[in-house]
Amino acid sequence: MAEVFVLDRASILERLGDDEDIYEMMVEMYLEDVGNNCAALSAAFDSGDASVLQREAHTVKGLLVTFSDAVGAADAHDLEQIARQGEIAGLGDAVSGLQQRLREVAAALSAG
Amino acid sequence: MNNVLIIDDSDINLTLIKALVLKLGDCSPVVFDNPLAALEWCRGNVPDLVIVDYMMPDMDGLKFISAFRALHGRNEIPVLMITANDQKDIRYDALLGGANDFLTKPIDRIEFSARARNMLSLRTGQKYLADRAEHLASLVEERTAEIREREKELIFRISRAAEFRDPETGAHIQRMAHYSQVIALGLDLSIPQQKLILEAAPMHDVGKIGIPDYILLKPGKLTPEEFEVMKGHSKIGHELLKNSRSEIMQAGAEVAISHHEKYDGTGYPYGLKGNKIPLFGRIVAVADVFDALTSERPYKRAWPLSDACKFLEDGRGKHFDPLCVEALLAGWEHVLDIRQRFRDEEVPLI
Repeated sequence: MAEVFVLDRASILERLGDDEDIYEMMVEMYLEDVGNNCAALSAAFDSGDASVLQREAHTVKGLLVTFSDAVGAADAHDLEQIARQGEIAGLGDAVSGLQQRLREVAAALSAG
Repeated sequence: MNNVLIIDDSDINLTLIKALVLKLGDCSPVVFDNPLAALEWCRGNVPDLVIVDYMMPDMDGLKFISAFRALHGRNEIPVLMITANDQKDIRYDALLGGANDFLTKPIDRIEFSARARNMLSLRTGQKYLADRAEHLASLVEERTAEIREREKELIFRISRAAEFRDPETGAHIQRMAHYSQVIALGLDLSIPQQKLILEAAPMHDVGKIGIPDYILLKPGKLTPEEFEVMKGHSKIGHELLKNSRSEIMQAGAEVAISHHEKYDGTGYPYGLKGNKIPLFGRIVAVADVFDALTSERPYKRAWPLSDACKFLEDGRGKHFDPLCVEALLAGWEHVLDIRQRFRDEEVPLI
């Protein structure tokens, strides 16, 4: 994960019609859920079920794209596509990387 | 208030979409994070717009749309599916499977509002058309009933016009029409046929309008020549009523031409025999004679019911269709009730 996440608050707000309330609510929910999302990714990988991992990666992709993290979303997309092929044994690093990205985004959102 | 059903397994998306739906105004969001539970809700509720995510556990958006569309009355309800930009194949499948439009992630409020409003306008149009169709159908039904009532009243008044020229009859047309219905019931005719003969029978003597007064109102016995003229009333009645588009008038024409035919072929105007005589004619023949016998006339007392019944029974297979006689006698309680309801001094509308 070479590129550092930089929060682009303005673009997110623009997409939300400059609605600060919705933005704050989404940030709050993201921060509440980030632990669960990381845990869900681990559990999916540990289960060995490629379709579950594919779905969790898809969910994370949706989350990251919501906060304009194109790089993180692309990584999630790659993970989703590989899992879709059914072979997930070698995806441990990709899963860890994505979890790290989720936390990085959370830190940026917390900092505002 | 539009019910907007939102289905997404991601809480953050559900919350975002719900908030955006509320911003649309006049919308009530109903949210589910589980498509199976949402489908269950749809069995008893009709949403005005469905917004469904594609990728969900248990049931994906495509399968949800397919199951939703299969529910009765849910075929036209607008569905927006949420997909990622890279899911082109899924978009094609969704369109073929019944989605009306798409929302892409990340959700953009302006795009969301425009698409959701378009879908809700579509729904409003659908509801307007459905309401209008229902309203028109009810209006047509109402107007048809009014026309039918007017037709019935007109027929009654035409029949009365003929009867007024023949002052012997009084409530005769009411009673004989109801006796005809009793016979139709006894013959197991359908309810619409029973109703039809009730409405058509009063026209049996409408042709008397064309009979000169000196014959129609003659106090004594008619000469053979005069009787020939008198017999002409069945054909006159038929001429007056035939070729109408009204089912009642058509039945009235049939009754007018055939109610003086006799089962053994000795009646008039054509001397038809047995089942060659139209059924309504055979029915009215019994009802008409029975009422004439049991009514007081200036030149005769009313026959006792037992004598009138004997007359009918003696006339089975000769004057009358035996089955029609049996049908009248089988409905005796109705006959007595009709005699009570329609006495000569009071003539209520049918």
